[in-house]
Amino acid sequence: MNRRSDTWLAYFMILPVVAAVLAFVIGPTWDVGTLSLTSVVMGQERGFGTLSNFRALFADPVFPTVVKNTAIWILGGTILCVMTGLAVGMFLAIDSKMTMGLRAIILLPWVLPDVVTAMAWKWMLHGQVGVIGDYISRMGLTDGAISFLGNPDLVMWMLVIVLIWRKMPLVALILCAAIRSVPSEQLEAARMDGANGWHRFRFVVVPNIAFSLTAVTVISMIWITAEFTLPWVMTGGGPANSSQIMSTYIYQQSFQFFNWGVGSAMSVVNLVFLMTVVGLYLYINRRSWAAGGNS
Amino acid sequence: MKTDIGRRGFLAGTTALLALATTSIPARAASGALSVWKFGGTPAEVEAWPAANDKFLAANPDIDLNYSFFNGQIRRQKILAGFQTRKLADVIIAFGQDIPEFAGFGMIQPLEEIAGDKLEGWKDRIVPEILSSGMHEGKLYGLPTYVDMATFIAIDTDAMKEAGYDRPPETWSELREYAKKLTTADRPGIAFPATTAPVDINIFEGIAYANGGRIFDEETGKVTLNDAGVVGALQLYADLIADGSTPSGNSMTETNFRDTAQLFGQKRAAMWIGLSWLNTPWGVMEGMNWAGAPFPKPDAPSGAFPPVAAIMDGTAVLMVSSSTKNPEAAIEYLDFWSQNEQLNTWGGNPEIARVPAGKSAWSEQGLADAWPAWVESYNAGTLFDGAEPMPRFIGVSAVESALATAIQQVVLGQKTPQEAADEATEAAQAQIDLLRG
Repeated sequence: MNRRSDTWLAYFMILPVVAAVLAFVIGPTWDVGTLSLTSVVMGQERGFGTLSNFRALFADPVFPTVVKNTAIWILGGTILCVMTGLAVGMFLAIDSKMTMGLRAIILLPWVLPDVVTAMAWKWMLHGQVGVIGDYISRMGLTDGAISFLGNPDLVMWMLVIVLIWRKMPLVALILCAAIRSVPSEQLEAARMDGANGWHRFRFVVVPNIAFSLTAVTVISMIWITAEFTLPWVMTGGGPANSSQIMSTYIYQQSFQFFNWGVGSAMSVVNLVFLMTVVGLYLYINRRSWAAGGNS
Repeated sequence: MKTDIGRRGFLAGTTALLALATTSIPARAASGALSVWKFGGTPAEVEAWPAANDKFLAANPDIDLNYSFFNGQIRRQKILAGFQTRKLADVIIAFGQDIPEFAGFGMIQPLEEIAGDKLEGWKDRIVPEILSSGMHEGKLYGLPTYVDMATFIAIDTDAMKEAGYDRPPETWSELREYAKKLTTADRPGIAFPATTAPVDINIFEGIAYANGGRIFDEETGKVTLNDAGVVGALQLYADLIADGSTPSGNSMTETNFRDTAQLFGQKRAAMWIGLSWLNTPWGVMEGMNWAGAPFPKPDAPSGAFPPVAAIMDGTAVLMVSSSTKNPEAAIEYLDFWSQNEQLNTWGGNPEIARVPAGKSAWSEQGLADAWPAWVESYNAGTLFDGAEPMPRFIGVSAVESALATAIQQVVLGQKTPQEAADEATEAAQAQIDLLRG
């Protein structure tokens, strides 16, 4: 085969992927973008080329709360998820019978459907009928029941904790695999040079797993941004909007209020926000990302 | 062979043949594919509906029924998605409160235009006040099979007697007094739901409407959440909390109507507030005595609108989609559900626990045994006196969502009732203006 036919074959081979991306990513994104610039009244499109949806969004008194909660959700969730995932991954990387067993069962939270997870946690955290508050109260740690999901100051962080419980295991397993692939010679050499545990982690392990760490952070950020079921089923955005985040508010605007234009405008804001954060993160970590794990 | 047939003979013959052919063809039964989406319902209802569908299929063998059940919470996005993709079911069984929006968006069609002579039968068999809950702008868009009414209260009669009372409270001031007296160290006097769940909002609306409040004025297109009637009802919630008669405010914002029922049934609250279904047996502790009653009335209604006795809405209202290709089969299905046998499914069944739409259901002994006071009131013609449909207008979800936020802000002590209501009015009005253009 000559070089020209190789090129055509390559184009042909990637055609299904290109078609899928166009149909399921570019197409809907374009649709949302144009809808955000369209006036929609009673479900009917009434003119393209307006910023009224964005104006309404930024005038909405709930929107600043939504942005603040989304920042806690995405940034807090991602940072804590990756940090706990790294700690658990380090532990799982140790060879022992216990860690071998744990590596298998740590994925259990992934097996449960989102709705089941959300309902179970909602029930367990309920101040009146939940087992967690009851247990804490019986131990004498509190005077009465704690309303984890009814307290506006606590609710976002409780959602983040449940999110970490749900998402962290896969992060831990990916990082565990990366940590186990760190050359033992390098670790041994560092030890012989007098490096303590922290130094070996900081200067040997982290550089070796930098690519995986960056990739898993970006993926976690995207997963968490797209997560809807957990917060919606557990709190419905309450109490008093104190757990209202982008995904739940987009849903509410689009499917409960039928304000499709505003819902689309918020989706665009969400996309820009996510692209900015991910772009910034990749820029900061550009060396490990570009090196593809070889740095 | 030559046959002479005159023009008159030919015309007379063909006319006679045509008349014979027309009269000998039986009325064409409905046939073809029919898709039905049902949203929400109690566990017993979820089982009862497919069982009745089997009877429908037996009576209509030419109809290919494709019945699907979905959670009530997802109905709006499911129906919207179906409408947008032109894959909406022929028959939608959803909530009465949805009708104005579905009709306004052109998703459903008036039944008068396709029901023909079936309409008279529906009017004959269904309680007029309940049938009117399927109306919008003078047209019938939905066939209700039952309604829920708001608002009611259940009281632990053992606790009530211990506190020295012999009847449930009848006014708001009595309610506060009862709740205080019924409160003990380990049992609040009253629990009410204050989550963002639609039912919890409907429960509050029943109280506010009885106080002369409304959440929206259709004539002016203005949101009226800061009307004195609504603010007064918010103040009642705030007062009950300030009296120390309830669980903590934090706790109530995560406690929905099912949770409050559980607290009551476990003797962890002496009273609880709900819809009409609380009058039928719930899971309570062995030997617990309790009674259901209409929610106490305000001492002096403060709202700008006429106070109502109750508000009501059906959550299994049959509607026909405007895109149906088979209106004959759709109407046949609605007509099947308008028959006494189907409407009586609800009569007296404590698990289903809805106010039946069928007139004949009210003469069932089972219903009289379960709800004697209601049957008596129905027979006296007073059951629906002063009752109105639950709020229904284009943008109702946005306004109810703002109301839920206001309720939670008051319950949490974040804002006074007036502040919360003013803020909710402003936010909801912006949503309404955007939606209506």
